Amino acid sequence: MESPNSATFEGLLKRGELIESVSEMTPDYLRELKHTLIVSGDTELISAPAYYLAARKAPSVNAFMTGIAIIQDELAHAHIAYHILEDLGESQEALIFKRDPKAFRYPYAFDVPLESWTELVVANAMYDQAGFCLLGDIHEQCSYGPWKRGLVKVMAEENFHLRNGRNWSKRISQAGGAAKEELQRAVDWMFPLTVEWFGLPDNLKQHSAQLDYRLKGLTNDQLRQQWLATVVPFMASIGISVPAHQENSHYVLDYPFPCTFDAEAKRWDFKDPCTWDDVLARWRARGPRNAEMVALFQESFSKFQVQG
Amino acid sequence: MSLGVEPLEARVWAVLAEIDDPEMPINLVDLGLVYGVTLEDRIVRVRLTFTAMGCPASDMIIGDIRERLLAEPGVDKVAIEVVWDPPWSSSRMTAEGREALRAWGLSV
Repeated sequence: MESPNSATFEGLLKRGELIESVSEMTPDYLRELKHTLIVSGDTELISAPAYYLAARKAPSVNAFMTGIAIIQDELAHAHIAYHILEDLGESQEALIFKRDPKAFRYPYAFDVPLESWTELVVANAMYDQAGFCLLGDIHEQCSYGPWKRGLVKVMAEENFHLRNGRNWSKRISQAGGAAKEELQRAVDWMFPLTVEWFGLPDNLKQHSAQLDYRLKGLTNDQLRQQWLATVVPFMASIGISVPAHQENSHYVLDYPFPCTFDAEAKRWDFKDPCTWDDVLARWRARGPRNAEMVALFQESFSKFQVQG
Repeated sequence: MSLGVEPLEARVWAVLAEIDDPEMPINLVDLGLVYGVTLEDRIVRVRLTFTAMGCPASDMIIGDIRERLLAEPGVDKVAIEVVWDPPWSSSRMTAEGREALRAWGLSV
């Protein structure tokens, strides 16, 4: 359906100008923008309970403070996304507190429990790096002005999370022995989960409305490569192995992508390749912690509502 | 290299001014966190404060200072004393620091 203002809208988009209000958008653009914001808001929001359960295992008072500060940042980033969604006509309350856990649109990785300080810092080093790549691209390319501007501080804060992840990963690796083995085990299951975070490979994804509308600028594979180009050398530098290597300017995975994952055991079976339909079915079914994660922030909401 | 003949105390301050706060684009000296530096028998003592007692980056900042100063010739040991009196306030920032934060979007 043609919107009355679609010619003006196309003009703005083509000239690389920013869209500032709903009145400048076509219905299709608005829908795609909302979808992208929901994925971003849900991802930031769910990382808070996921990180919290692991931050409780912090090895020092200051480490606990750092963990809590990161959680506070993530909640603030979620708030930015939901606040923009509210400006676009959505109800923040309905989005956060009244959706079914399975309707949340965050990456599957957060449905697999982080159960130790080691797993938390690996999440800071790898999941937050994924967030950094994805949000950095939106920050640079996004055609919607309010979101683009809202991301300036988000990027600085994500940097702090990365730093926590890298500092601690290095420190745990240097400790050696059982500590380093635990770090390696965490990387073993979390690395492929983050690789799939970026979604379908470009050859299977024929068309992206997000790219057409300049909601993002890089393709799934480009973003995945950007992530590999930071994480693979970093892990090598601290003596932790990952199933990927560099060939010329490109990173190549050393396992069939995609392949099967046992979420309960936190184990990948590199000998059992699967299809992207299988992966999408796993994502849709959500993982072990989905209901528990969502309940952590939903359960008390109705308690203090005025009755009647 | 002129670095080697520069007095150690000046080098220590220069190194501290190269260390950025982990959360904001401003260095520790411009932020006003360094209350004093003393040198004695190849030991550098740094009196340091934080913007808040709940600063979640304090371990990172202490780690950065230690690592950078220990890499300086003439430094064998780094002793960091964290002090809360007088308490930090934004008036301790330098004009350069204020400008850096303003450019980043934080008015102080």
